[in-house]
Order: sequence, then C-alpha cells, then structure tokens
Amino acid sequence: MGGLRVSESVVHVSELTRRFGATTALVSVSVSLPRGAVYGLVGANGAGKTTLIRHILGLLRAQSGSVRVFGVDPVADPVAVLSRIGYLSEENDLPGWMRVDELMRYTRAFYPAWDDAYAEELRRRFALDGAAKITNLSKGQRARAGLLIALAHRPELLVLDEPSSGLDPIVRRDILGAVIRTIAGEGRTVLFSSHLLEEVEQVADHVTMISCGRIVLSAPLDAIKASHRSLNEAFIAHVGSAATPTAEL
Amino acid sequence: MRSPALAIGWEFRRRHRWGLIAVAGYLFVVATIRFLILGPGEPVLVDSVRFAAVVSVPLTTTFVYLLAVFSFGFTGDLAARHSMYPARMFTLPVTNAALVGWPMLYGTAAMAILWLAARLFAVWPSGIAIPLIWPALLAAALLAWTQALTWMPYGLPGIRLIVAVLGLAALDTVVLLAIHFKAGEPRMVAILAPQVPLAYLVARFAVARARRGEVPDWRGVFGRLASNAVRTRRRDHFPSPARAQAWFEWRRHGRSLPALVALLLPFELALLWLAKDAPAFVFEILFLALITPPFMAACTAWTVSQPNPQGRDSYGVPPFIATRPLTSAELIAAKLKMAMWSTLAAWLLVLVAMPLALEWSGTWPLVTERVRRLHDAIGTPRAATVVPLILAGFIVATWKQLVQSLHIGLTGREWIVKGSVLLTLTFLIVLGPIVEWIIDSPSVQRALWNAGPLILAGLVGLKMSAAAWIATRLDRSRLLGDRALVLGAACWVVAVLALYGVLVWFFSTPFVARYVLALIAILAVPLARISAAPLALAWNRHR
Repeated sequence: MGGLRVSESVVHVSELTRRFGATTALVSVSVSLPRGAVYGLVGANGAGKTTLIRHILGLLRAQSGSVRVFGVDPVADPVAVLSRIGYLSEENDLPGWMRVDELMRYTRAFYPAWDDAYAEELRRRFALDGAAKITNLSKGQRARAGLLIALAHRPELLVLDEPSSGLDPIVRRDILGAVIRTIAGEGRTVLFSSHLLEEVEQVADHVTMISCGRIVLSAPLDAIKASHRSLNEAFIAHVGSAATPTAEL
Repeated sequence: MRSPALAIGWEFRRRHRWGLIAVAGYLFVVATIRFLILGPGEPVLVDSVRFAAVVSVPLTTTFVYLLAVFSFGFTGDLAARHSMYPARMFTLPVTNAALVGWPMLYGTAAMAILWLAARLFAVWPSGIAIPLIWPALLAAALLAWTQALTWMPYGLPGIRLIVAVLGLAALDTVVLLAIHFKAGEPRMVAILAPQVPLAYLVARFAVARARRGEVPDWRGVFGRLASNAVRTRRRDHFPSPARAQAWFEWRRHGRSLPALVALLLPFELALLWLAKDAPAFVFEILFLALITPPFMAACTAWTVSQPNPQGRDSYGVPPFIATRPLTSAELIAAKLKMAMWSTLAAWLLVLVAMPLALEWSGTWPLVTERVRRLHDAIGTPRAATVVPLILAGFIVATWKQLVQSLHIGLTGREWIVKGSVLLTLTFLIVLGPIVEWIIDSPSVQRALWNAGPLILAGLVGLKMSAAAWIATRLDRSRLLGDRALVLGAACWVVAVLALYGVLVWFFSTPFVARYVLALIAILAVPLARISAAPLALAWNRHR
C-alpha cells in the first residue's frame, strides 16, 4: 500500500476552524488525503475527529477555512460528494424497523455503482440474515450491516468513524482489517478514525493525530515508526500520556 | 440528593422545567384575572367562547401535557413492543414499587393541583355546582391508567396505542354514564378512588415484566407472512432514489394517519345507529367523521416534521438520512409525496366506511333528502359541484395539515419548534376573546367588513413577500434549480387561477367583488411555508 502512487487529493481541508458556542472544536485544521491511501485519524475522545469527519461529509458547514471533497464543496453539492462516499457512522443509526434485505434494497437505489453480487457476498460473510430486522440485531451485527451498505457500492472514499466501537475483536481483525486492505488495494481511499492505536498501526499508511481540535502530527506511518519506536510512543510524545488511548478488550 | 424519590422528582422537574414554568405562569395569569380583574365573587360564564379560549383549551392542553410528562411519553416509543418506561432506570438500585410509585405519586399530585387551581381560579363561582374531589380523582385515574397501559410490554407493535385508547375510553364511558344517571360526589368518588391503586398494581406488574426483559412476542404468524413478503419482493428494486426515499418516508410516517383514522372512525360512525330519529345529529356525526382526517393530520404532523423522533437528538437530521446522496429539496419532495399517499389512504377509509355506515344504519334517506333540498335551492350544476368541492377541500386541508409545519420542525432548532408551539397556543387563547368581542360589537363588524379587502391585500402582500424572499434564498443556495422554481411557480399560479374560477362561478353575486375572490384564492393555495421546507432542512442538515 505504501507503494501506491499519490495522484491527487481526494479530500482537501484548509485552515478549518469550528466553534460550538464557547467551545472550539477545530483550530486551523489542514489535511490532505491522497488517493489510494488508508488514512488513520487518531485522538482521544472529544479531540475533534468526528467534527472533522462531519465537515468532510458536509454535515457541518465550514465556519472558516474550506473543505473540498473530490474538488467539490460537500455542503454546496452534497449529491456529487455523497454518491462517491461510503460512510459508517459511529452512532450507527440504521433504521430499526427495516429488515436487512430492505436496507440493501433501499440503499441500492441511491448508488448506480451498487454491486449486487458483492453485497450478497458481504451479507453472507458477515452472517447477516436478510429477513432479520435491524432492531433485533446485536450491536456488532448492526455495525456489520452498516459496513455492508457502506461498501457494496464500491465507494471511491470510505469514511469510517470509530468503526471498531461496535465490533468484537475477531470481526475487527478479520473483517474490518481485510476490508480496508482490499479497498486500498483497489486504489480507493479510506479515512478511518479510531482511538485504538494498535488497530490504526495495523492498517494505516498515513496517520494524523488530533488533540484538542489541533493536528499535532501528520505523517506516513513508516516515518512515524522511524522516528518513534511505536505509534503509542509517538502519541505520548505529541499528545501526552494522560490522553493516551487504551486498547479495547 | 440522597433519596431515590427526590432524584426521580428532580429528573421530572429538570427535564420539563420550561413546560412546568409555563403551566405555573398560566395559572398565575388566570388567578390574576380571577381575583384582580373580575373580582373574587364574580360568577364565571362557563359556556362562553371567552371561557373556552382562556380556560378550556389551555387546561386541556396542560392535562395532555402532564399525561405525556409523567408517563414518559416524550421519550418512549408508543408504537414499540417494549415498555415505554425508560430502560436506563431499570438498573437503578430501587424496587419496582419505587420505580412505579414515585412517578405515579408525582403525576397524581400534579393532576390534583391542576384541578384544584382550575376550580379555584377559573370556574368558581359559576352559577352551577362544580364538584370538588371527583374531577381531580378522574384526572389522577386517567394518568395512572395511562402510565400502567403504556409501561406494559406488548406482543405486537402498535397494540399499546389501541389498548390505551380503549382503556381510557372505557373509563371515560363509565364516568359519563354516572353523570348521565346523576350520581352524586360520594358515588363518583367510590367509582374513581379504587382506580388509582388498581392502576398502580397493573403498572407494577408491567414494570416488573419489563425490568426482567419479558417482552411477549406474538409476531410468529405475522413475522412469517412478512418474511414471505420480503422474500417475494427481494428482486424488486426501486427505479429511482426518489422512489426509495418516498418508500422510506411512507414506512416511517405514512401509515400513522390512516391507522388513527381507522381507529376512530368506527366509534364515530357507530353513533349513526343511535341517531336514526335525529337528523341534525346525523349531520353532526358526518361532519365529525369528515373533520377526523384533517384533525388527526394536525396531531400527527409533528412526527412527520420531526427529523429523528426516536433518536437521541430528535430535532437533528440523523446521519443515515443526512448522508443520502439526495438534495434537501428531493428529501422534502419524498415527504410531500408520502403526505399525499397518507392523505389519500385516510380518505379512502372515510369514503368507503361512511356510505356503508349510512346504508347499514338506515340513515341514507336523511342524507338524500338533504341533497334533494340542496339541489332545489341552488340548482343541478352547483349541487353537483358543491359536494366534490367540499370533499376536495377536506382532502387538501388534510394534506396541508400534514406538511405545513415542515418548515418549523425540520429546522432542527429546539427553540424555534417550542417557540412556535407557544405562539400557536397564545394565538388560540387570544383568538376566542377577540372573536367574542367581534360578535358582540356591530360597529367592529362594520369596520372589519369595510377593511376586509385591505386586510386581505395586506396578508397577500405578506405571503408574496415571504415567497419572494424564500425563492431568492432557494435560488442563491442552489437548493432548487431555475427550472424547478419556474415550474413550481407555474403550478401554483394554475392552482390559484383554477380556484379563482371556481369561486367566481360559485359566488356569482354583486355583493362580493371579484378581486376579493382573487385575494382569497391566493391566500388559500399553499406557497410560502411549503417552499421554506427545503431551506429549513438544509439549515439542519449542514449545520
């Protein structure tokens, strides 16, 4: 993956600042995501990861600075941007009343590139019953269903906001890791946020650390490893031990 | 805070502080009017419009509000199988008796205070005997049974609503019969007093079951049927994103209105069997049935306009919807389409049930006789047009009720939503006395009649200015393309012209100027509020 050629920026965020009342969530954040990279966004809870992702999806309007995804402002033209993105939300707010089959049928309508065979393959791989209602699925199964609809249209950019929070360790390692590698191997881009440094270390090409709304480190993983013994050590050096994310059991 | 009772009470107070402050403020205003303006001994005319506006409407609203507060109605899912009692409270280290008892006690106390305050400030003395205890007991019993029936887990989705409505209606019927047979206060107290402890026992049983996770599942047969339906439909794909989104909206909100109409209609039409010998009563029942869809549409509109009723943030657009690759205008179009199908489904029920009920109850001849008299009075063409026109008016009114608050609810700003509710209630409260003042003052009526065209012109100016501003914003924000804007405006003009043509044909009288009819047609066809809905959604979706 490290050998993939960087042709252009899929996401370009420049000097983005965001305030929620008296709280400043992002301070002059600038990020550029090269095509074909697996981009890990790490930080403690409340660091600003989800706020940055919501700007990229156009769910938040840039108060100052600019956000461009595929060269387009996601607020001005949400259809052009969102039709090329697969997104798994941290909240995982899939409608509980839908059945898995209905969810697939509904989501399919929005994406011309939806791959029925791939969707069915993912459904079987994730062991999801098509007739099961979303509300009756476990948290892990719901996360898999969310991942299925995020992947089945083979998006150019896959955005995963804390994808591990609903998955057990086996699913995390075998499915999420494998899926991210497959997507990156096909030349598509992945942006995923996590507070699990080990997980990021396993799959990311490039790591950006965010703390209190500021980017404190952004570099290729190999470069970080060359300058620090591990990602964990880099995190302690740049963010501090008090905020060091811990591994999830 | 060292006691669970205080903690539970504090949660009610903290969560609903603004609503409870508004109720206290209202009672204070009524008390001020009672003691400082009217005078303590001045009798109150309980059958006046002013009384209805200042006392009946706000008190009924307060009663319903307190029902929702103390049964956790604002956070629970009325249609779900599981209990509406908040599951997070099941892990508190308190007994079932405490979980049930304290909310019931606080609710009972609130209802008793509401009645006593209302009686003291609003309806006493009124020249008629107003009972002291049993109305408070009735309010407490209705609340207790609402709590018990809504906290019970059920085997099928939607059963809770039916059971609650039937249970409360049964209690109401008993009380109405007792009033009919002139039961005195001691007898009423004897009927109502056992209701609260009885409801407490049922509620305790319900919460105990819910706490153990015992939710019965009667979906076996239905589930199999649904699975088969899903299997047969698996290959059917939506032809477009717009159709998929309209399906989503229909499944989420579309069935509520027809279901509510289907629930109420049989009870209303059953009254026709009692009204065979009272023609006036028959037409009152038919009118009641006809206003049921628009009235229920007004009740369900808030769920349609709430982007995320079951979510943590019920006002914000959930990411699942916000990230659909559709424009905000397309998301609104799906809602409008769903509202149309929902309206048609509700009216289909009315139009099928009403003739059947008239026929089976033997009251058809009364209706045909009234139609014959109408025919004799206004002639064949007008008589043949007036019935479909009235019906069309009711149908459009139903649809309008469903969609006209979208521009408020979809903003996602709690202060706008609650502010608009407060404004509406204030308007309703002020409207009654103003109407009564107009009815009582011939000079005011004359002035209004003379100023009528000017007032209408002012309202039209306001509407068109708002529409122009909204169109400019829609164009600038590129939420709607030029073609869509022009097409929308053209459709609106055609609708206004059509309505104007009908009005001119129908009211061909020299007493009403044609420009007045034109102004009425412009005001009647919805424009500004519906056009503002995409702006409201975009404001919420891209914060």
